[in-house]
Amino acid sequence: MRRVRRSLTLASALLVASAALAACGGDDDDGGGGQSESGEQTGGEITVRGCNPENPLVPGNTAETCGGNVLDVTTAKLIKYATEDAAPQNDIAESIETEDNQNFTVTLKDDYMFSDGTQVTASSFVDAWNYNAYGPNGYQSSYFFAPIAGYADLQCTGDGEDPCAGQGSQPKAEEMSGLEVVDDLTFTIQTTEQVSNLPVRLGYTAFAPYPESFFEDPEAFGTMPVSAGPYMVEEFTQNEQIVVTKNPEYSGEFPGNLDRITFRVYNDASAAYADVVAGNLDVTDDIPVNVLQDDIWLSDLQDRGTEREQGVISTMGMDPTVDKRLDDPALRTAISMAIDRETITEQIFAGAAAPADGWVSPVVDGYVEGQCGDNCTYDPEAAKAMWEEAGGIQGGLTLTYNADSDHGPWTEAVCNSIRQALDVECNPRPVVDFATFLTQLGDKEIDGLFRQGWQMDYPSIENFLVPLYSKGASSNYYSFDNADFERLNREAAAAPSVEEANLLYQEAERLLAEDMRIIPLWFTTGQVGWSDRVSGVELNAFGVPDYAAISLN
Amino acid sequence: MTDDLKAFEVVDERKGSSRSEGVRSLRADAWHDLRRNPLFWISAALIVLFVVMAIAPGLFTNTSPRETVLSEARTPPSSENWFGRDVQGYDLYARCIYGARASILVGVFAAAGTAIIGTIFGLLAGYASGATDAVVGRVAEIFFALPLILGAVVILTALPPSDEYFVIVFKVVLVFWILGWPTIFRLMRSSVMQVRPNDYVQAARALGGSPWRIVTSHILPNAIAPVIVVSTINLGVYISAEATLSFLGIGLQPPTISWGVMISDALVAMRSAPHVLLFPAAFLSLAVLAFIMLGDAVRDAFDPKSR
Repeated sequence: MRRVRRSLTLASALLVASAALAACGGDDDDGGGGQSESGEQTGGEITVRGCNPENPLVPGNTAETCGGNVLDVTTAKLIKYATEDAAPQNDIAESIETEDNQNFTVTLKDDYMFSDGTQVTASSFVDAWNYNAYGPNGYQSSYFFAPIAGYADLQCTGDGEDPCAGQGSQPKAEEMSGLEVVDDLTFTIQTTEQVSNLPVRLGYTAFAPYPESFFEDPEAFGTMPVSAGPYMVEEFTQNEQIVVTKNPEYSGEFPGNLDRITFRVYNDASAAYADVVAGNLDVTDDIPVNVLQDDIWLSDLQDRGTEREQGVISTMGMDPTVDKRLDDPALRTAISMAIDRETITEQIFAGAAAPADGWVSPVVDGYVEGQCGDNCTYDPEAAKAMWEEAGGIQGGLTLTYNADSDHGPWTEAVCNSIRQALDVECNPRPVVDFATFLTQLGDKEIDGLFRQGWQMDYPSIENFLVPLYSKGASSNYYSFDNADFERLNREAAAAPSVEEANLLYQEAERLLAEDMRIIPLWFTTGQVGWSDRVSGVELNAFGVPDYAAISLN
Repeated sequence: MTDDLKAFEVVDERKGSSRSEGVRSLRADAWHDLRRNPLFWISAALIVLFVVMAIAPGLFTNTSPRETVLSEARTPPSSENWFGRDVQGYDLYARCIYGARASILVGVFAAAGTAIIGTIFGLLAGYASGATDAVVGRVAEIFFALPLILGAVVILTALPPSDEYFVIVFKVVLVFWILGWPTIFRLMRSSVMQVRPNDYVQAARALGGSPWRIVTSHILPNAIAPVIVVSTINLGVYISAEATLSFLGIGLQPPTISWGVMISDALVAMRSAPHVLLFPAAFLSLAVLAFIMLGDAVRDAFDPKSR
């Protein structure tokens, strides 16, 4: 899961000052060689909002959007997700074939080149994936490789904070048994269980190939990565900027329009926004909430902005085994029906979220409208009647959230909505930070309601259900354990086609509507604004601008 | 004030009040001056208003501060909602009225507490002098060196969270006690050292008065004036410091309603609905102004040298 580093709070003067300093740094190279190119639509250079990557720019160790946005344009994967509908298209892959959803044969396109001139081969993938998955390397996206056979043998076995510490806890193997290089352009993947949507997953950054130079010096690679995408990193200055230029060796079908893109580091959404309004920055994908209200940003930018739903869902959960008062599904449904999602998304999020009508984001393949039905429709009278009929609860409700992110306003609004509809006391309860929040959830210490959020890893309905609500899943904080749900998911994983799998997943999703211990709230909407110099700015399903498609006017 | 002191005070005060008709004690003299100061009456009226607001908010509004109409969030002032509604759809007027309680409570308790602690240690250090003075003085300097905001952040984040109204308020008060007493202490100590060599103190000692009696009957009444003045001004300062801490999200917490919390919540609507920010800010400024004006008036009255 990629964490979105968006916060609505005010940045301190210090941060603004540093952003301003950074802004001073990269101004001299404005208006480059766009005119020297033949057409108006290609070439030139732009500056876009960036932020500081948490880790060096290694695809397997980047799980946040600051580094991820850069890697999106510099890496090529087997699959590329289409900007409009996130549909998977072959990129490096010539074909990915399977008979049984468990043994996959991947054939690569010939002559696909890294930016250093070496060829992308089957072992570029197999070695990279083994390296990413290998426990002692500690890469953040290691868990992506868990479905592949032999993954467990690459993990450390120690207990405690660092499982790799201590003797005898080192992994048994360095290579996953499920990966095998057949020849230069072919390799096979074997999974431990059937995974019908494995090809869809392969477009995530963690599955990018590494050139041979990576294994010689992974650290140097982190500042100057060699990759196979349409752009390559030219300059990476921590806290200042990341410059990418067109990859001369690029051999794929999705080349970029521009010659050069500068990701200028901003620590504050307001500063980046102000620079776009002033014409000092071309694109920002972080519009501050205070200008989202009443569409101020669209009038500031003279309609040079767009928004779309992202693969991010906010939910509110409860664990009836912890809070026994909420054991009756009717009570849980009443709570859900007491929430005025429409008004909250409009007034509190100012349109940066859209009411959820199910548990699966509309941007992914497999989404069907209205899976939650009336249970997610605001109806205070019906909610109250249902609540009273089910006997209500003793005492009040709390809605627990992590206070290190900006959840205060909406939790207050949700509680107000519940309180006024059901006539039951409801108070938001902050927990100091996300780590503490998760620990308390894991220890089953949080009664009443608690917030949850999920950003998809890959655009599939499966990603919104199985990792979250299946029995024993690490994110199943609801004690949700439904035999039918498990069975449907298993059947879907074994289904012969994506369509058939989706139908089964949709059936599984409807089981959540009967239970209602996970209450869908809203889907996050991403915004992007741009200066009058550029056009063709669009957001993909992950809420990231498709930088390669941008062109100068 | 005890009778045997009167004689000394009269002698003491005659210089200062030569233009007034009769012979008055320091306090009576101050009161006489205060009464004629319009600043005093304006600020006193405002303070009475805010205190009534804090004690009985129901007198000013029938609307519950927790009643929200989210669909009307950020609507501007109208005949129905005099101040309009805030980002959560709460009635701003009701919130501003109910917000007075937290601010007044924090201001009064913080100012009174620091005055009491500072006075006790100031008397101790100033009267006992020597080693006691050195020890208390150094301890005070340690606390004095802590910047208010930094100290408050550290203490408030270390304290466990709570939902109880008075616990939330008291935590902020506690911070001000811990960090605010050295100012009063220094003031009291120097004031005591000024009073101590006076003839009436020497006389009381010569007559065999116990230290307790000398301190309580002779030194304290004559050294307390500056503390009263500064504490009155501090009351306003603490109210605004509370708002600062609440604004930063570490002072008072919802569901406690306070002007600082309201200002913090209003920031997000600064461009689309500035009134959400303006009304609590105006209430806060007025309350702080009232206490500082009162402090000024009291200082003018108590401090003959400034005339």
